[in-house]
Amino acid sequence: MKKNVWRLCILAVLVSVAFITVYPLIYIFLASFKSNIEILTNSSSIFPQELTFENYISVCRSNDFNIFRMLWNSIYYTLISVAIAITISSMAGYAFARGEFPFKKTIFAMFTALMFITTGGLDIYPKFKILTALHLNRSLGALLFLKLFGVPIVNIYLVRGFVQSLPIELDEAAQIDGCSFIGAFFKIIMPLLAPILATIGILSFQASWNDYIMPTIFTATQPKQYTLIVGLMSLKNSGSAAANWNLILAGTVITLLPVLVAYGFGNRYFVSGLAAGAIKG
Amino acid sequence: MKLQRNANAVSVSFISQRKVSIAVQSYILIALPLIGFFVFSIYPILWTFRWSFYSYNGIASATRFIGFDNFITMFTTDFTYFKLWGNTFLFAACKIPFELSLALVLAVLLSQRIRGSSFFRSIFYLPSVISTAIIGLIFYNLFGYFGNINAILLKLGFIKTEIDWFASKNTSVAVIVLASIWNTFGINVMYFMAALTNVPKELYESAELDGATRIRMFFNITLPMIIQVFQVILLLSIVGTLGINDIILVLTGGGPGGQTFSVMSYLTKQFMPGFMDTSTPSLGYGCAMSVVTTIMFAIVAGLYNIFSTKIKNRY
Repeated sequence: MKKNVWRLCILAVLVSVAFITVYPLIYIFLASFKSNIEILTNSSSIFPQELTFENYISVCRSNDFNIFRMLWNSIYYTLISVAIAITISSMAGYAFARGEFPFKKTIFAMFTALMFITTGGLDIYPKFKILTALHLNRSLGALLFLKLFGVPIVNIYLVRGFVQSLPIELDEAAQIDGCSFIGAFFKIIMPLLAPILATIGILSFQASWNDYIMPTIFTATQPKQYTLIVGLMSLKNSGSAAANWNLILAGTVITLLPVLVAYGFGNRYFVSGLAAGAIKG
Repeated sequence: MKLQRNANAVSVSFISQRKVSIAVQSYILIALPLIGFFVFSIYPILWTFRWSFYSYNGIASATRFIGFDNFITMFTTDFTYFKLWGNTFLFAACKIPFELSLALVLAVLLSQRIRGSSFFRSIFYLPSVISTAIIGLIFYNLFGYFGNINAILLKLGFIKTEIDWFASKNTSVAVIVLASIWNTFGINVMYFMAALTNVPKELYESAELDGATRIRMFFNITLPMIIQVFQVILLLSIVGTLGINDIILVLTGGGPGGQTFSVMSYLTKQFMPGFMDTSTPSLGYGCAMSVVTTIMFAIVAGLYNIFSTKIKNRY
């Protein structure tokens, strides 16, 4: 009897915290079906008095808020970011796990040390200078170019650990059969990395889809290159924010959906990324 | 005899050739991050160090070397930077105790073999996958003057008139802290649950035989058993909270009157294209702030490292 009461109390706490957790999302989702007047006047009720798809239609038609272009920008920015993250970290992780080369330990230590450096952000200016010298204008493309030269140390750690757990006979046999060191990576190791690359892929998908500050900096002068998040925030910061809540909320729901769907299906990959966060510190 | 020596020499040179070839191929594999490390990480850091000794706003004719003047101004006459750290520590002090105790309680409850515990875990973790900028936007709407929170509080009779949440520092900080806790408490629930699985079940069983209450078991068994992991979690949240940025930019934009800027959000708002209001930011002064910020974070990270190795050594 006492045990049941205890269990009921636990359940009550868990349910109420879960309710508080999902409440803001449910409220925003349902509010995106309210008319703009109702968003401002009927905010005490989470359900719309009159369900309307008007907001989604006007988001699709709006000229100032070109959702299809922003959606496309977000998609290609995210996909290329994921491809870069997977390629760079798997190649480097393999090299640090199986390669023998001078300064290996030093380079790995340098890369790791970088993890503990948080600059105030002003180091963006010399990066701009280098990009300008390479004839690259500030744009999403230039940002992706910069990502190509990033040091994804947490992901390198993940891949290195994974490769070290694979039997070394695998790639030795391949190399005896005449495969080069790099050839053994592409033919033997890379296919085996699928589970860890799925984790890295989904984490970098989430990070780049959600990215706000860097895309804003790189598209500051070019509204045509705005990603969804950048576009939403610029609409929110514009003077007419109050008049545009319907557009902002519908845009928010559209921006949230891909990540939420991915979380629904790939729950465990998101959570296994926690280990990565723990390494990163 | 001679033949064999030749064969040896051949195989030695073959091996060393192979070694060289592997070294070259390894360098090819790490070429991009290695170039990026020097060109896009180290060089930019050195650049900020250099320009922190200059009065510099991007215009060549107005540029001049001023030695330590930027740092002297920062520490003796312009107290903006001090206040930024004050705000940042205020956020940490408001957020971390509340968030960690909430997460610990939830983790303890979830580990009681409750039905649907993995469902609750997924729900609690959900906000962590959402963009912090979007979270700022959602809470900006909820806590708006005509927003849902005011409307509900009015309806329930807790307040007589709407609260303008973003008009005073205290309420702004409260909203920022609340949004930030909502964002990340689920991560800490996960960490604590992992820690709790390592506590031997026998301890609880024998304590139960001795007639210990649940509350006593929590304070006398659970807490001491997870205290080391707790330190790591604490340091992780400190490092995370000190870097708080996007959520402030979206929620308050530093307002009212710049009173809710954290270090990172101030630097972003004052010096980053797309955020700043001027076309000639005082970059030299910004670089000086950036340098001190880099050092502060390195100190925190260093402390973290010392602590975590100490913890590892104890095991």
